[in-house]
Amino acid sequence: MSSGRPSCGETMPTGARASKPRALVVRRHHLLVRISHWLTIPLLLGLILSGISIYWASPIYQHDPNPTTGSFDYFADAGIWICAHIPWLHHYADPANWVYNHGSLGPYMLAFALRFHWLCAYLLMLNGLVYLAGLCIGGGWRSLLPRLSDARGVLQMARYYLGLPYTILARRQPIHPNFRTKYNPLQRLAYFVVAVAGFLAVATGWAIHKPAQLSWLTAIFGGFDNARVWHFWLMGFFIVFVIPHVVLGVADGWDTLRSMITGWSTKFKRSEVSDHEL
Amino acid sequence: MSFKQIGAELKSTRRSALLKKFQGAFSERPIEPIEVEPSTLRRWTRRDVLLFGAGALATLAVGGSQLPRKLLNKALRLDDDVSTVLYSQHHLVPTYTKSQITPLKNNYNGPTPDPAYIPGWRLTLDGLSSGLAVSLDIEALLARHRIHDQITRLVCVEGWSAIAWWSGLRFDDLLHAYPPVSQAKWAYIESSVNLDANGNPDPYFVSIDLLTAQHPQTLLATHLNGKPLTVEHGAPLRLLVPVKLGLKNIKAITRITYTKDEPPDYWAKRGYSSYDGI
Repeated sequence: MSSGRPSCGETMPTGARASKPRALVVRRHHLLVRISHWLTIPLLLGLILSGISIYWASPIYQHDPNPTTGSFDYFADAGIWICAHIPWLHHYADPANWVYNHGSLGPYMLAFALRFHWLCAYLLMLNGLVYLAGLCIGGGWRSLLPRLSDARGVLQMARYYLGLPYTILARRQPIHPNFRTKYNPLQRLAYFVVAVAGFLAVATGWAIHKPAQLSWLTAIFGGFDNARVWHFWLMGFFIVFVIPHVVLGVADGWDTLRSMITGWSTKFKRSEVSDHEL
Repeated sequence: MSFKQIGAELKSTRRSALLKKFQGAFSERPIEPIEVEPSTLRRWTRRDVLLFGAGALATLAVGGSQLPRKLLNKALRLDDDVSTVLYSQHHLVPTYTKSQITPLKNNYNGPTPDPAYIPGWRLTLDGLSSGLAVSLDIEALLARHRIHDQITRLVCVEGWSAIAWWSGLRFDDLLHAYPPVSQAKWAYIESSVNLDANGNPDPYFVSIDLLTAQHPQTLLATHLNGKPLTVEHGAPLRLLVPVKLGLKNIKAITRITYTKDEPPDYWAKRGYSSYDGI
């Protein structure tokens, strides 16, 4: 339809290309990386839930039994406290096991929890190999290596995140530090450390599982009891990692989340990548 | 510029080129945009992902709670196979000094048996190459065999462990003194004095593969921390097998039967591993 605009279709230099519409994307994540990324969720969840059921059988952190409740376990204390302070839980039947009933496969489930833990653990190790294969084949490992020059950028990003609540409250425009790499330095550090933590979780797991035949491995972590402490706090680290990982992944927007499903991203200008995802 | 200088400069450029090549292998590659059909960009909509995610969550919840027992059994068997491969008769478990000894709790599942059985206690051996059953008292066992001392760690399936000083005869010495039938691969070890949670007789029994029985640190222990075993720790004779979990370290042994096929095991019947190698 003719509008007031002069028709200049024939003289448009991009006319030929305009007839064949195109879209530009960049490849961000290798297929194997994406598969292992999503499989980690059920496996880690299974390991944590069964792990806390196993922990229940003999908690690492114990104190002298409380004279009134008889509890010697801090998780049991937490359950008793929760049931005493949350009105609708006042009549909860078994306050000492509240945490285990809600944060694990349940108490008195050691045999089942152990099998469940072994199943998830073997699958997680397999999953880790798939992840490493994806990083190698896709070349993505280069983007994950922290660099010596990252220290400044890590601090810049940390300051940005810590200052974000104030910036928003003060109704100022947050200024995101710019980096010309796939990930920002803080992301790089986080992803690298979480991969190392995954390796350590497997290593400490074996150290606890086979302290006789793999006694050298148990010795590396300071003996059987210390290896259990390592294993416990590595779980804590994964939980601490997951919270900002999910919050920032969602906050960063649809393209970032989609790229972990499809593998590609429409953000390919250097200024567009490495926004606030973590 | 002298030739020397030129040569030195060439050398340094070559060196820096090599260094660059080395660093280049680790540095991020530039990402090249690729062309795709614009329809590709629309293929993964937010709604698709939400639906897909909801479906995945539902599958996870149902699959997780209805996890086939077969799969869990398979994981347990795989883990037992791994343990069997890791086992080495020549690998000794770590030993400790007397200053490292820790308290050892009585973990009898039911009440501790009445010590009245101790004076009339006898050990019966069956499945011998002689075809006859042998009945031994504790004096006979102590008089005929060399006593070995070891300070090793007892690791419970629940997660706690204790370092204790054990003395007793080597299981391997008993195997030499009273050889089992030639096809025997297993020892079925029983304690008839064990009680269940209500205090009723509930014989305890474990399966031990003969390769483990032959391990130099596998003892038929008679003493704990330099004193004869008390009823809490399985007087007068218990199995001390530091390459297995504590539950295989059967107390107050009354009978050992050598078998060709794998015998039943008290805790394996209740969902735990049957090999329990650590």
